[in-house]
Amino acid sequence: MLPLIAFWSGLERAWGRKRMLVLYWFFHTLCAALAALPWMGIAVPALSRSRLGDELMKEFDLGWLAEIAAQAGTGAPAAAIVASGAAALILGLVAVCLSAGAVPLLALPESPYSPESFWRHAGRNFWPFLRLSLYSVVPYSAALALAGMLRSGAHALWGDGLEAAPLVWANHVRLVFLIVTAGLVSTAMDFAKVRLALSGSRQSLRACLGSLRLVWRHPGVMFWLWACFAIAQGLAAGLYVELAKRLEGGGVAAFVVLVILQQCYVMCRAGLRFAAWGAAAELDPILRPMPGADLIAPPPDQEPAPDYQI
Amino acid sequence: MNSRLILFAASLPLWAQWARPVASYDIRASLDAKAHVISGEQTLTWVNDSPDTVPTLQFHLYMNAFRNTRSTFFRESGGQLRGDRASEDGWGWIRVDSLRLEDGADLTSHLKCISPDDGNPDDCTVAEVPLPSPVRPGEAVRLRMRFTTQLPKVFARTGYRGDFHLAGQWFPKIGVWETRGFRYAEKSGWNCHQFHANSEFYANFGDYRLELTVPSHFIVGATGELVRRTDDARRGVSTYLFVQPSVTDFAWTAQPGFLRLERDFEARKETTPQEVAAIARLHGIPFPEAELSDVRMIALLQPEHAEQAERHFRALAAAIKHFGLWYGRYPYKTITVVDPPYGAGGAGGMEYPTFITAGTSYRLPEDVLTLEMVTVHEFGHQFWMQLVASNEFEESWLDEGFNTYSTGKILDMVFGGTALPVQVLGWNAAAWLGLPKLTQASVDRIAHLSYPVRDPLVRRAWEYYDGASYSVSSYSRTGVALRTLERLLGEETMARVMRTYHQRWRFRHPHSRDFLQVVNEVSGRNLDWFFEQFVFGSRKLDYAVSEIGNRRLGTPAGLFEREGHKDLISAKEARQRDREREKKGEKPLYESWVKVERLEDGVAPQELVIRFRDGHVERRVWDGAGRWAKFTFTRPAEIEWAEIDPQRKYLLDLSFANNSRKADSNAGLSAQWTLRLLFWAQNALLWLSALA
Repeated sequence: MLPLIAFWSGLERAWGRKRMLVLYWFFHTLCAALAALPWMGIAVPALSRSRLGDELMKEFDLGWLAEIAAQAGTGAPAAAIVASGAAALILGLVAVCLSAGAVPLLALPESPYSPESFWRHAGRNFWPFLRLSLYSVVPYSAALALAGMLRSGAHALWGDGLEAAPLVWANHVRLVFLIVTAGLVSTAMDFAKVRLALSGSRQSLRACLGSLRLVWRHPGVMFWLWACFAIAQGLAAGLYVELAKRLEGGGVAAFVVLVILQQCYVMCRAGLRFAAWGAAAELDPILRPMPGADLIAPPPDQEPAPDYQI
Repeated sequence: MNSRLILFAASLPLWAQWARPVASYDIRASLDAKAHVISGEQTLTWVNDSPDTVPTLQFHLYMNAFRNTRSTFFRESGGQLRGDRASEDGWGWIRVDSLRLEDGADLTSHLKCISPDDGNPDDCTVAEVPLPSPVRPGEAVRLRMRFTTQLPKVFARTGYRGDFHLAGQWFPKIGVWETRGFRYAEKSGWNCHQFHANSEFYANFGDYRLELTVPSHFIVGATGELVRRTDDARRGVSTYLFVQPSVTDFAWTAQPGFLRLERDFEARKETTPQEVAAIARLHGIPFPEAELSDVRMIALLQPEHAEQAERHFRALAAAIKHFGLWYGRYPYKTITVVDPPYGAGGAGGMEYPTFITAGTSYRLPEDVLTLEMVTVHEFGHQFWMQLVASNEFEESWLDEGFNTYSTGKILDMVFGGTALPVQVLGWNAAAWLGLPKLTQASVDRIAHLSYPVRDPLVRRAWEYYDGASYSVSSYSRTGVALRTLERLLGEETMARVMRTYHQRWRFRHPHSRDFLQVVNEVSGRNLDWFFEQFVFGSRKLDYAVSEIGNRRLGTPAGLFEREGHKDLISAKEARQRDREREKKGEKPLYESWVKVERLEDGVAPQELVIRFRDGHVERRVWDGAGRWAKFTFTRPAEIEWAEIDPQRKYLLDLSFANNSRKADSNAGLSAQWTLRLLFWAQNALLWLSALA
């Protein structure tokens, strides 16, 4: 029941931060547009005056990509790689920055929200959160390595055989293992962010290890908590795809509805992200005994002291 | 030797239907399934059907390509081919243990390896033996050969994996004697190329007979018809006798685990009289000539693919039907399709006479058509390579490309496009995600666009820029070129071209210029310009509408002389006159122009369509020879858009996007694109938020 309670509580915390969600969505969208800009620079000029543009828009497939690449010229692949790299860098930093602003306010639902407080938290927590995200590469890599070992093991057992079936099933198992492990690491990182935000600590490595230990000690709770969010995410994605399929290729009105639907879906995903951080904040004090006063939340009417006053 | 032999006398009456046998083989072979070694004896009867006196014989010893890393095949391929890698310890080779003439003369010690293509001293895929006395025109020579073949671990179309065996290119096979003037031969000699990475085969027609002994628990399939099976319980072996007249090669497979299934292709059930009549009418042939014959379809499948058996038969039936209707009936009684096991993919997707290897995977989704694509394609080689036996070493486009074109038409017509394999835990999400299916026509065009034109379509297989260039040129780009030709000639004319070419060269060895001759003859047009540029040459084709302009023609201002009077019209006065005309409801005139450009070196006549804002459409024809051309119009409406090659006849064109140009930028399209990319970026950002 604990994971369900935490899930529900996380949703409540997210609901309580609707204004912050709008702010988050706005800057998130702004930065996504920034990341998409280089790609638009490749694709749009190639087709904006061509009659083929409308036709290709209806049939988005590999043929479409080939036509774009051919039209964009030989420099297109290099430009696309640079554009992807730039987009990944922008998106990565933005993801850290926005979560640094949102997590403390979700962890402390009583503290008042204002855009200033959001950005103050974002500025204060950016570097610890960035370090945390860099440290998180290690457990993700470990999960990948374990999945790779599963693959090697399966090949050692069945690779020389004449049947693909055992390997196919082993691959399914490996994929499920990888998804679940990555999900648990992701959940651990949510707890680590909450821990950093609540403690005001800058010890990202300690938070990372502590949260991984928490997952190790309470695997059932963590798994079901992750599963709740994964199911919710899956349902949202399924609903979106089903509705989007009906709208694709329609007229202008259908396109406008599709864009609204897309943004609702993005909002929903962002809301679930908020809820995941909120649920972590809800569970953290239950699963982890409070060692000291530094972890006690400040009174609701008192803002956490900014860095420069410490 | 030196005696005129009448070969396979019993089959003489069939020569009208079958090819005249030039190289016939009577083989006895046994498989050591543990060592993967074939011990064989063969009697080869070779008829000198040329006007030359032939002093030597040359043989292919293909299996020596896998003998070591110094062979030409290994040097060229680097031990990798078609996504498959050679095993580090699975070498293969062939050894001729003895070679005697019919009169007993032993020529074994005179057999020497030669490397006619590259002079590689370490390659022994071709061997030559001088004859004590030359073979005169019309004479036949009969040789008795004993040989041992070690199969490699499956790689490049042949070999073993576990207890699966596929024996292709497994026996000493004589080359083709080409007399001066035959195909491209400048002087008479053997056409017997080494085994290269990017080449397949070339051989004379002949009658084959194979007695194959394998352990009794093995299930066997081979080229031709099974005449009998004899079991030797004491030795635990069985001997199979297969025969097949009029083929160019012979392959077989053996594995205990095969699931052997059979179905009949019943011509009268699979085709309707209307379909046959339509073909007869199109080609002006009697109805019976267009009719198909029954074929026994045999599938040797892996048990884990049992649920895909009917897919194999459906694909085979579609291929037998359409290849037969389009080009002429499949003349053999059987077709065997082999499904190699997991890990033996290198043996898949290969064609031998009446015997093909396909390829599938465990639980292949119904809408992913790789099984159908491979099966139809490999069957197609019965027509383009086996019946019309072009030289695959030197002109691979004539078999792979023609087959890609034919296969694509069947697949798109019968099965529709294939779904992309977006599999999650065995479930294909492509349809659910709404991803469009890919037709073969689009697959070929994607390959054409994705790889630069570096080689002509006609080139020796080992002389292409690289393996990808060989592959794209021989398969996809040829498919695109033939579809372009089809659009230029029209579907019916193209159908007549293809059938005429096939029928004229059935059981013979044409070359590329023979096809060109048929094209010109049947279409009544001269298509030399197309072939010289895009088949024998490597020109690129790309035309573009580079500029559209509209200029309003108002009342002219300035000094004018009319009938001896000087008339000065000020700019203000001119504008005033224009306004008065507008008030009267007169439409202003526009001078509009379209500039079209030839961006590459390929030249082709082009049609241009220009649409004006009032709905009026103009058409122009441009010979396409210059670098650019300008077309000017004076009309009471602006140009809305212009498009060159509006019917997209030239599928070889490197970009359709620049074929058209609108006067106005498509703001809607830009908005759609931008929002779509934005949505993807937003989702990527959310994933990063979840993970980091």
